[in-house]
This record gives sequence, structure tokens and C-alpha cells, in this order.
Amino acid sequence: MIVAEQKPFAEIKSLISGAKRILVVGCGTCVTVCFAGGAKETAILGSSLRIASRLNGHDKTIDEVTVQRQCEWEYIEPLEKNLDDYDLILSLGCGVGVQTLAERFPTKRVIPGLNTKFMGLPTEQGVWEERCQACGNCILHLTGGICPISRCAKQLLNGPCGGAQNGRCEISPEIPCAWELIWQRMTLLGLQEQLLQIQPPKDWSSSRDGGPRRIIRDDLRLPKEYEE
Amino acid sequence: VEGIKKLLLQIGLEAERIEMFNLSSAMGPQFAQYAGEMTERIQRLGPSPLRRRQPLAVGRN
Repeated sequence: MIVAEQKPFAEIKSLISGAKRILVVGCGTCVTVCFAGGAKETAILGSSLRIASRLNGHDKTIDEVTVQRQCEWEYIEPLEKNLDDYDLILSLGCGVGVQTLAERFPTKRVIPGLNTKFMGLPTEQGVWEERCQACGNCILHLTGGICPISRCAKQLLNGPCGGAQNGRCEISPEIPCAWELIWQRMTLLGLQEQLLQIQPPKDWSSSRDGGPRRIIRDDLRLPKEYEE
Repeated sequence: VEGIKKLLLQIGLEAERIEMFNLSSAMGPQFAQYAGEMTERIQRLGPSPLRRRQPLAVGRN
């Protein structure tokens, strides 16, 4: 999932300071399950902002709505009919959600209420860890299902660096050395011989180095006559 | 409750306005004591600043 966390309350307050009528828009997908921008967090933030605004002697109108998915047109289109009532949209979606709203409703100011952090998973209750950097060319079959691109600080492809100590990364004793994990997993699988194969330098053109990325599936595209 | 205390502070309200006490249904005197403590605390803090001031009473003719 995409993992995000809410911006500090003081920052959100200052971001909405110029607006009088604000719609807080939550998202029912990734940011719901990481407790950052779902219906519950949207309601709590809306109430908090209403109280804070009243304490400061302002009378802002702050309403909330949560859509199932902020990153698809069909889910956000129903918002359009009420948008005239607002001068600002505060999105509790990830960065994709914020941009989808801004692109669909170009005459409205859309501001982010979350900081989008990474793609990862909850490893235990209340702890999320990064697992994928969307490099665009998956090599998990070579590394026992453990990603050295997202989990090794140096993104090494041929074993650990000299900084790893006792299975820990030199950037922090909290972080396991990805290559130690890979070695253990490949040993468990009886595949450690495969690690002797030298991996050539990675082609990063499928990652951010190639600029903004796009996937086009001609088998899924609508024929021209269906397009507006 | 700890989270709500932090939230209240960020909003600009006193965190002491909320508290959690653990006690069983058999602990009547203890309950009364906690209720007394909270009443005293709330009175000290005064009315919620969110409550709008009542408009001044208009004198009758």
C-alpha cells in the first residue's frame, strides 16, 4: 500500500488560513488502512479544524467527505456538484489523490493534508516499513523475495557493503542489512549458489531516471469513437 | 485518551479536560471521588471557550 502520515496540525492550520469554506476530502483506500486519511481521520481533522477556527475567532465552514478512491476520475466526479460551496479542498489522499483532484477540478485550490512516505506494509501494529521503490524492473526473483533497491541504503546488487555489522546496516542499528536477509533467505531456499552470479549495473531508465513514467495498454484502451 | 490529550493541546484546548479512570462497578466511593476531582478540575478550568457568549439580556419596556 501507499503509506502516508498526516502533516502536523499547526502546518495544516496555516495552509488553510486564507480560506473561508473548506472541504476536507478523505480517501477510502491506502491511507485508510495506514490510519492517515480515511473517513475516521477526515472526521477528526474536520472537527479539530472547526474547533481551532472557532477558538481563534474565525468562523470557517469546514465540511468533510470521504471518497472510496481519490486517484480515479469516477470516484471523485460526484464531488463536483457541491464544489461551488467551497474555496479550498484539503485532501487527505496521497500525493496521487491530491493531484487527481487538482487535475479534475482545475479552478479549485487543492492542498495536501498528508505527507506521502513510501510503498510498504505494516510489519506490526503501528509500524510501517518501505518495501518497494517502483524501480520499474523487478529483480525479486534473484534475491529471495527481498528487495535490495528499497531495503539496502546503497541499493547494492551483488552483496553487502563493508559497513554492515552483525547483520545491521551502518546507517542505523534499527535497520537490518538487506543483503544479510537475502543471504539467509537464499540459504533457506538452498539457492545460495545463485548469488555467485554477478549482476551487471542496473538499468535505471525504467525508474525515475527516465522521467515521469507511463503505461499504455492498447488492449484496454477504448476505440477513438468512444472518447470525448 | 493520551492521543486525545495531544489533539486537544494542538487545537488550543486544555488537555486536562479529559481523563480516563479504571474502576469496577463495585467501586462506588472511588467513583464518587474521581467524579468530585473532575468536577473541581473542570470548574477551575472554567466554561469551554467554544461556548458562545450569551447575548446581553435586552431590557423589557
